[in-house]
Amino acid sequence: MRRAILLVLGLMATPLSSSAQPPPQAPPAQAGALTQDEMIALLRTVDDRQRNSGDYKSLAYIEQREKDKEQMVYEAVVYRRDATDRFMILFTRPKAEAGKGYLRIDKNLFIYDPTVGKWERRTERERIGGTDSRRQDFDESRLAEEYDPTYVGLEKLGKFQVHHLELHAKKDADVAYPVLHLWIDADSQNILKAQDMALSGKLMRTVYYPQWVKMASESKGADVYVPKEIHIYDEVEKGNQTHVVIRSVDLKSLPENIFTKAWLESQSR
Amino acid sequence: MRGTGILFRMALRSLASHKVKSLIVGSIMLFGTALVVVGTALLDSVEAGMQQSITKSLSGDLQMYDSEAKDDLALFGGMAMGADDYGEVPDFARVQTVVEAVPGVEAVVPMGIGLATMSRGSELDRTLDALRQAARAGTIAGEQGQALVARLERLIDLLRTELINSRALLQDTTEVDAQIASIERARGDAFWAEFAADPVAALDFLDSKVAPAGGEGLLYYLRYLGTDLDQFARYFDRFRIVEGEPVPTGHRGLLINQRFADSQLKLKVARLLDDIHDAMTQNGARIATDPALTAKARQVASLYGAISLMLSPEDAHATETELRRALGITDGTLDTLLEALLTVDDANFAERYALFYDLIGPRITLYPYRVGDVVTLRAWTRRGYMKSVNVKVYGTFKFEGLERSELSGAANLVDLMTFRDLYGQMTAAQEEELRAIREEVGLEHVGRADAEAAFFGGDADSQVTGAEAFGTFDEMHPPTSDERSDERPSEAARRTITDETFTREQMLDGVVLNAAVILDRDAQGGTGDIEVARVRVQAAVDAAGLKLKVVDWRAASGIIGQFVLVVRGVLILAIGIIFIVALVIINNSMLMATLERVREIGTLRAIGAQRSFVQAMVMIETLVLGLLSGTAGAGLGAGIITWMGHVGLPATSDILVFLFSGPRLRPTFGASHLLIALVVILIVSLISTWYPARIATRVQPVEAMGDA
Repeated sequence: MRRAILLVLGLMATPLSSSAQPPPQAPPAQAGALTQDEMIALLRTVDDRQRNSGDYKSLAYIEQREKDKEQMVYEAVVYRRDATDRFMILFTRPKAEAGKGYLRIDKNLFIYDPTVGKWERRTERERIGGTDSRRQDFDESRLAEEYDPTYVGLEKLGKFQVHHLELHAKKDADVAYPVLHLWIDADSQNILKAQDMALSGKLMRTVYYPQWVKMASESKGADVYVPKEIHIYDEVEKGNQTHVVIRSVDLKSLPENIFTKAWLESQSR
Repeated sequence: MRGTGILFRMALRSLASHKVKSLIVGSIMLFGTALVVVGTALLDSVEAGMQQSITKSLSGDLQMYDSEAKDDLALFGGMAMGADDYGEVPDFARVQTVVEAVPGVEAVVPMGIGLATMSRGSELDRTLDALRQAARAGTIAGEQGQALVARLERLIDLLRTELINSRALLQDTTEVDAQIASIERARGDAFWAEFAADPVAALDFLDSKVAPAGGEGLLYYLRYLGTDLDQFARYFDRFRIVEGEPVPTGHRGLLINQRFADSQLKLKVARLLDDIHDAMTQNGARIATDPALTAKARQVASLYGAISLMLSPEDAHATETELRRALGITDGTLDTLLEALLTVDDANFAERYALFYDLIGPRITLYPYRVGDVVTLRAWTRRGYMKSVNVKVYGTFKFEGLERSELSGAANLVDLMTFRDLYGQMTAAQEEELRAIREEVGLEHVGRADAEAAFFGGDADSQVTGAEAFGTFDEMHPPTSDERSDERPSEAARRTITDETFTREQMLDGVVLNAAVILDRDAQGGTGDIEVARVRVQAAVDAAGLKLKVVDWRAASGIIGQFVLVVRGVLILAIGIIFIVALVIINNSMLMATLERVREIGTLRAIGAQRSFVQAMVMIETLVLGLLSGTAGAGLGAGIITWMGHVGLPATSDILVFLFSGPRLRPTFGASHLLIALVVILIVSLISTWYPARIATRVQPVEAMGDA
């Protein structure tokens, strides 16, 4: 009975994407196999918990390790305005890379390189800064909006009990990987592990989220969950890996005109 | 001595008395000798030609590179399509000092091969980019700005027509309807009023809503050789500037390989027209009968839209008027006229080809660059991130005599500093900066195999922590752009990096991937001399503790360099087979002749001739025949080579142009070719006569009497 009530609450929350509404109800902890509706509700919960209704700014450390190559590290500021789906990354360190940036406007991902003063349109498969990370790794989570889930099973990941879901991209969804496998902590409902696959089923990346940080958001009036670390292992070029550490997050409002080419260009003048 | 004289006389008498046998065996020997002379002389000439092509274009006489490199150096392209790992030579200046001190070495030229991309956005993207720059400079209201606006309006109109046409073919029109709606907005007066008031915002709209419908641009892969351009021009004799000028000493710059530009960078419609033109004028091919040309002609006609997009409104109008006059077509749109122009057959091709280059060529950009332009090269650095560099195109170049060879387009040339930028060489300060950032974060590395145990097998029961896990943003916030401005060049300064000059010391002091060793022209000779020099240079670098591998030009050129070895192997095999056949024929002929001479040999034995005399008699007979036929064969071979050298063997394909080091091979021969052929034929003669001679020695005097 309790599960049914929670499910109804979850369904009621379904059409609500704005954080002004109460968050959707996820399936109960330690549940068995999830129904389709429960899975969708779970994905909505995952999305909603990471979404801030206002603006978002984080300072990210990105470390790229490649087999037989020297390491590269970056520091970048990630800007998001979830309400209008705006997204931007501005590299700040090392000095030689400072001023480079990505800007997402609608379905366009642009890259700007101040050393040559040029903009270019890139695809969703763009390797951010040449690392194994993609735009989606830093952007707002839109799993429920972009994918259809199927249930694989209730599994153990280390000491954690996890729901294993297989997600297939919806038609016209502009995503880097058409198939995802997610391992979602049945207790905390945070993603702990993800595997990205090509349409053929070939495993492309394994991603771990070992730590989540819960922080209060004034604009949302609720908590926002942010992954503290993201560890990405390339499954095609074995040995290549990217480690992201979110060092700080600021949920205060950003200037109005920040998500424009002109603003990004101005950062390297 | 007297015995030998008798033997020779007997051999000559026997040859004269067995004319048919002598003629058959002699012809085989003559043909074999001529074949050896022609084959070896041709092969040596091809090898010499290839050596010229390779050493005078990219390799020099020797090449040096990291002895721990994963891949073998392949100057004309390796198996990894530009991702070959040749290691690196960290301190070129020291290498140069050590190697230039080796006797016989004239110079050491630094090099580094890489693969970059050069992009050309769609016409719409490029126009928007130009407008954005005009907006930034505040020149949109000016004449040039307004020309760009007019061009933009024309492109939007063309795009609208294209989308409306494609809509009719689609089942799901949601996306195209949204694009058409955006275009309709961009065509409205209200939008242009907004554009006048706030061009940047309007350009953002066009960039994100309209331009994606205009298609992707083109991406060109450009293999480049970073080098000391002055030394390269000095020591690589085939290098010639075609257009523009050499990169001034101490300046950054790019020289584009004309062959590469013509075969890879040139506008597709022009490339196809050139291909048809070359096939028709050089090889006499016809569009009607050559399926490849028919297909190309069909493709050309379908590319009129690409030209239409590139024309400015004024040029479009002028082209339309001129085409109407030239083609005698009174109705139809510009697209109709362009399609008519590009519909070619054997009868009209010459006229249409000329019209294309007279009327269209000057109004469109045939190449994604113009000499004097600054282009952006992008490459993956050795650390795996993308690096972009602006570099000025000073000109185009060719390797003289190899213009038609695809292989001669293997590399474009850039200065060494640009190469190092694209390679991602970091200074000590930059390395220190990376180390400091890493230390600041102190992330513990977890490998793939241990990840799950490390991340989810620990003591923590929850993966969730509070906000205190983050530092405050203000503390960690990177310096603002204003604060940074004293630390790094401004954007404007960065963009003028192409104007930066550098000293020779700066250029030589740093990493390269390989280096060409030019041997002293006087000391340099054949392959043997190069091998001696290679050993000497290798010894010198080893003694200096430099971890370098020294290889000759053949090994450095990759699979191309192995070509002559393969051909030589095939030739030796062919000659071997021919000689085995010859050996059997000669053997049989001599055996038959011996059996016919049983009476004569028996009589000789009866009057006291020893077995050794009989054996020598038969062997000398063949030797004399071999000597006479071999000399004649060598003469014939020499005559053939002389004739070939006079008329020249035409290089009928791209690869032959490279192997022949020009459009024709003019082979030569030397005494060694004649001598080798003669020795080979005499050895074959002796081997083939050994068995008949043994049979002859077994003839007993009584057999002669018995026959009597």
